Amino acid sequence: METLNALTTLNAFPLAELEVGKQFYWHLGNLEIHGQILLTSWFVIGVLVIASILATRKIQMVPAGTQNLMEYALEFIRDLTKTQIGEKEYRPWVPFIGTLFLFIFISNWSGALIPWKLIRIPEGELAAPTGDINTTIALALLTSLAYFYAGFKKKGLGYFGNYVQPVAFMLPFKIIEDFTKPLSLSFRLFGNILADELVVAVLVLLVPLFIPLPVMALGLFTSAIQALIFATLAASYIGEAMEDHGEGHEEH
Amino acid sequence: MIHSTILLAAEAAAEGKGGLFDIDATLPIMAIQFLVLVAVLNALFYKPIGKAIDDRDALIRSNQAEAKERLAKAEAMAKQYEQELADTRRQAQKVIADAQAEAQQTAAQQMAAVQQEAQVQREQVQQQLDQQKQEAMQSLEQQVETLSRQILEKLLGAPLAG
Repeated sequence: METLNALTTLNAFPLAELEVGKQFYWHLGNLEIHGQILLTSWFVIGVLVIASILATRKIQMVPAGTQNLMEYALEFIRDLTKTQIGEKEYRPWVPFIGTLFLFIFISNWSGALIPWKLIRIPEGELAAPTGDINTTIALALLTSLAYFYAGFKKKGLGYFGNYVQPVAFMLPFKIIEDFTKPLSLSFRLFGNILADELVVAVLVLLVPLFIPLPVMALGLFTSAIQALIFATLAASYIGEAMEDHGEGHEEH
Repeated sequence: MIHSTILLAAEAAAEGKGGLFDIDATLPIMAIQFLVLVAVLNALFYKPIGKAIDDRDALIRSNQAEAKERLAKAEAMAKQYEQELADTRRQAQKVIADAQAEAQQTAAQQMAAVQQEAQVQREQVQQQLDQQKQEAMQSLEQQVETLSRQILEKLLGAPLAG
């Protein structure tokens, strides 16, 4: 009885509450929208836009402050894109890949660092947008569309030639790949972020002090890695779609 | 506690509303707002910052190229000067050597000429000497004859018939 009481008092503690799968619904016509996800995603978008504005407000030859930070970010993204897509074609894809990376990264870290829980909403709780399957599927599908677009733009219908490279019998596997790519992308991100949040939540629930800290640190690491993985894979899919197989065996 | 959580999730899923895998209109909205974000960041972030980076790269590259060119020019100039210096030194040495050789030659020539002249003079003198000696001998011979004739005349007391 004693322990049960203790548990209930713990339960009353506002930080130590676990809500999974509860959504804060908005209704748009007869469509349903996860309000908490959109709210945090707007926050993330706001952070990115404000950082961009701060960085480009007064561009200097010798960068300082935010400009320096954002230049570092852009150089990092360019490097990533260049290694995956190749020197010749990477430039038009930098905004897409970069936004994927930045959006996912800021989302993940906002989920890990900002005590969203303190802002009460009527139902559910605010959390990282990437911890919601809708967001990750949206991003993964956009990635799929992007690599199809890249392939068709580069080679026209010759893109289908990719499906029988290097041997014709790869055809079914390549077709399956088109489905598994967005599936694995979305579920990897979703699973990692949600799992991280849940682990932290459960640990906080059990031992509210200090013990969850290493897991939280690990969560920050995972979050960054997941953003990097998503962006790298998206870039590599796009690069793969544009790769030359045919006549002019150039460098890949 | 966790039990109740799982129950909650399951319950929500069973209701057909909520749950972890609740896919609804959030998906297209998220996709659209992501694309808008790409466009906005492209205008606000990638283009200006990219331009700044590229401009700086270009500036640095041009500066570097210029510096390299200048260095190359300076090196070429240094080389040229060195070569000129070496040339001049060589020329100077050559001039010295030439002058020495010439002087030596002149000296040798003059020496030879002088020696020849001396030889010639010596020969001349020798010849004169020989001639004079011969003349002297001749005159001596004559005198000897005359003297011997006189001696004979004196001894004989009568002049000899010539």
